[in-house]
Amino acid sequence: MLAALRSRALLHHSSSSSFSNLQQWKLGFLGLERTRSSSSIESNKATELLNLQEIEQILSDVKADDIRVIPVRQHCDFMVIATGRSTWHVKNIAQALIYKAKQKQKGAQRISLPSVEGQEGGKWVVIDSGTVIVHALDEKARAYYNLESLWTTETSPKEPSSQELENAFVKIRPKNNSKKSVQMSS
Amino acid sequence: MIQPQTHLNVADNSGARELMCIRIIGTSNRRYAHIGDVIVAVIKEVVPNMPLERSEVIRAVIVRTCKEFKRDNGMIIRYDDNAAVIIDQEGNPKGTRIFGAIVRELRQLNFTKIVSLAPEVL
Repeated sequence: MLAALRSRALLHHSSSSSFSNLQQWKLGFLGLERTRSSSSIESNKATELLNLQEIEQILSDVKADDIRVIPVRQHCDFMVIATGRSTWHVKNIAQALIYKAKQKQKGAQRISLPSVEGQEGGKWVVIDSGTVIVHALDEKARAYYNLESLWTTETSPKEPSSQELENAFVKIRPKNNSKKSVQMSS
Repeated sequence: MIQPQTHLNVADNSGARELMCIRIIGTSNRRYAHIGDVIVAVIKEVVPNMPLERSEVIRAVIVRTCKEFKRDNGMIIRYDDNAAVIIDQEGNPKGTRIFGAIVRELRQLNFTKIVSLAPEVL
């Protein structure tokens, strides 16, 4: 079934570019299947919401401090962590990224924006554009949550493949361990 | 299926150990909360020498339920316990680390912060 979904996503991609953006979102969330099929990743790269170079460019433009890019294999490709000097600065970092995503899709029939979380508070804003997740934090929050140590020290965040999961969910008939039947047979 | 008076474990290092649901945020007269819903809860049990206190009223996101959680592809996920993560009014988690496996759908429900702190995402 997954294979069917994937092929449909590819079909849509070839037919219209505005559709493929949506499909890419879904693909990004499915995650598991994305890691298995490299072909669909490459075809999606062209229509990504925001790619890594653009994000780095924007972050340096708005003068975000201490930018770190961490490759993550678990649920997205890259995690970018940046520090803002104040809550306003953190909010502006998020705004700049959204603006860029809008600019990039100018003229398209349907614009899909990255999901933004925590913009009211301005202590920790997460911009989730599918393959790249950008965390903009103020200094206190960055020291408190210490995201780098979580994602860099963890050496083997082995993702259970869908095959493994499916195997785990297979119903197992309980083994007959009673000694009675064994004695009866022997 | 979390309803008022349900006791939940805490899946983070905020210092609380057990919560009791007292209200589900959302529409009025909502019966049950499921994975990804926000509840109002009261802290029933705490770890000593931590900032949170007993009988404090907080908000929490449900991350694990005994009631099975279904995906569109037919996969069913069911945990052994009911567990929640304590958040503040802005949606920032109170603890800095999350324990145990959580589902990927939390990211679509705009809890990316919780997902990015979790060690294992199903």
